[in-house]
Amino acid sequence: MSTQYKINKLDTSGVGPLVDRHWRELREAKEKGMKIAWCAGPMFVYAYATPNIASHFMAGYAAYCGGRGMADEVLEAAERYGELRDTCSYHRLHTGMAAMIMNDWPVSNPQVLLPMPDLLIGGRFCTEMSHYMEAIHRRFGVKAVTIEIPSARSREDLPRLEKFLTNQVKETLIPAIEEVSGSKFDEENMRSILRPWKETCIIRNKCWEFFKKKPSPWTLWDYGVSIAPVFYAMGKPESLEYYNNLLKQLEERTEKNIPAVHPDGEKYRLYWDGWLPWSFLGKFIRMMIPYGAIPIAGRYPWEFFPHPEDINTEADDIIHEWIRLIYTSPNTLSYHDGPWGGQEHIEDLIQTYSIDGMLFFSSKTCRMWNLGQQEIIANIEKKYGIPGIVIDGDMIDSTMVSEDQIRTRIEALLETIDARRR
Amino acid sequence: MAVVAGVDVGSLCTKTVILDGNGKILSYDIMRSGHYYKGAAEESIENALKSAGLKKGDISYTLGTGYGRGAVAEADAEVTEITCHARGAARLFPEVHTVIDIGGQDSKVIGIGDNGRVTNFVMNDKCAAGTGRFLEVMALALSVDIGEMGDLFFASKEKVDVSSMCTVFAESEVISLFARGHKKADIAAGIAHAIARRIMGMVGQVGLREKVVMSGGVAKNAGVVRAIEERIETSLLVPHEPQIVGAFGAAIIASERMSATIG
Repeated sequence: MSTQYKINKLDTSGVGPLVDRHWRELREAKEKGMKIAWCAGPMFVYAYATPNIASHFMAGYAAYCGGRGMADEVLEAAERYGELRDTCSYHRLHTGMAAMIMNDWPVSNPQVLLPMPDLLIGGRFCTEMSHYMEAIHRRFGVKAVTIEIPSARSREDLPRLEKFLTNQVKETLIPAIEEVSGSKFDEENMRSILRPWKETCIIRNKCWEFFKKKPSPWTLWDYGVSIAPVFYAMGKPESLEYYNNLLKQLEERTEKNIPAVHPDGEKYRLYWDGWLPWSFLGKFIRMMIPYGAIPIAGRYPWEFFPHPEDINTEADDIIHEWIRLIYTSPNTLSYHDGPWGGQEHIEDLIQTYSIDGMLFFSSKTCRMWNLGQQEIIANIEKKYGIPGIVIDGDMIDSTMVSEDQIRTRIEALLETIDARRR
Repeated sequence: MAVVAGVDVGSLCTKTVILDGNGKILSYDIMRSGHYYKGAAEESIENALKSAGLKKGDISYTLGTGYGRGAVAEADAEVTEITCHARGAARLFPEVHTVIDIGGQDSKVIGIGDNGRVTNFVMNDKCAAGTGRFLEVMALALSVDIGEMGDLFFASKEKVDVSSMCTVFAESEVISLFARGHKKADIAAGIAHAIARRIMGMVGQVGLREKVVMSGGVAKNAGVVRAIEERIETSLLVPHEPQIVGAFGAAIIASERMSATIG
């Protein structure tokens, strides 16, 4: 380890103020008498487009708490409330927050508290998601709507599933949003959000392409942090401005040959699979950087939310158009989450981004996404000769992350890559 | 050629192996790590040097491995125990393709290619089930010396299941089994089978390729070795001193690096 590698982070400082503003506006919305929807999964857009109801994106809140080091206190509150430690940490976080509010428990940082919801919207990718909506409904008396978003087992399934989801949205979800908000769902408003949002996401995809560069001008962590403006300033000019700045930085870095890793770029280009470890982004990168290793690409950005860059904002049926993103659009979210689509997608990423090794993040409290990890590693290793490992942990729960164990695994992976290079 | 040392600082034991310039083991040491890893590493090196009739200055290159590898003050470099166990096992048994290593706080299964290098590996997750520590706690619950656990396995007459994978729950289960009148030997065998079952799952993830070597302190427990053999339906090759395989591998890598430096 003679070279002294150091991270050369992109300037993502624009994210913080956008995040703060988002949560501040949510609190203000409640004070102004607007209704609040807590949303899990990609169905938040319908609430977002309806007047008189403000949306809270539950995964975004987890990333917010994790990134700001506020998660542990809220998770502890959930346990105090009686929540099982093995359940989804995103769910526990919301239960903990609600328990703190409803019981008026002391909190060290009031920023962690958000308004209690009037509506829960669950876009169900996993069984736990709908159950956790139901649990919050049962405990705190909040109306809940859970929508099924089944993964496609084959491409032939896609149109059928798309129809199924469209019907649920039109017949169940939108009427519930209208009832709670007291306002009509506004198709034109949805289009007006989607137009600039689409433009932002097209720029974001241009940024993503920079992962192909060797050395890479940025890391997957930079990308992860930059997810926030897309959701926190959805369809707003600030989001577009953020991504234009990001693109400019990446172009400049490439032109001047400034890599993400000092002094001369990454020695190991790693693929990251699974959730991003929001509370531990710094901890993980510090385990990789001394060796010149960085996460370059991953499935996460293509796995959990649709991609509005593919949307036809002028389509006759804009409600259905959003659902098309999940099923029959080129970046079909559902197929990528299915049994074969997932592996095909990883294979594509590995080849396109010149990956040397794979890290599969196995979340202790989100087992669904861990199924098949070893099998996929074995298949890819066999086909492409690229080694991979599973590392155990959690996105936000520090009691489930053992730094020494993770460090040993990462180092052993890098040693395995070295052995193959000889 | 230069004399080198490999030091494996594990959670329970620290091991040192000293090799001469021809790759021959001059001496080795195994001692409890205790709570001060740096001191344990120093003491273990000193013990091994003394056994070999050498002094500190005779060592040209030291390589640290194990969870406490960062605590080896003398180390010129560090390598993970995964690579070291693979290298050590491949030197001892050139035909090896799978290593099962059960140490104090973790267990790992390592796949090895035809060139003796690591192809893939899995480690137990954040839990001590099926490790040396697990076995120690179980020995305590059975009120037997850990060294007796292996012999008890072979004295077993009746099948007893120890189903808990959590060390603490397994301990309570052992106490309940006693309360139900089960014999010590049968419970000891049940414990060995519980470990074997867990290891079998890890072998399944890596993919079984013969020959299979077992290393680590738990390999000294003939009962666990037999139980694993039964589960994976393959004979295990167990080195004469399975506990020093990681330190031996570290010393081999140290020797190669020294040669590269000189060369």
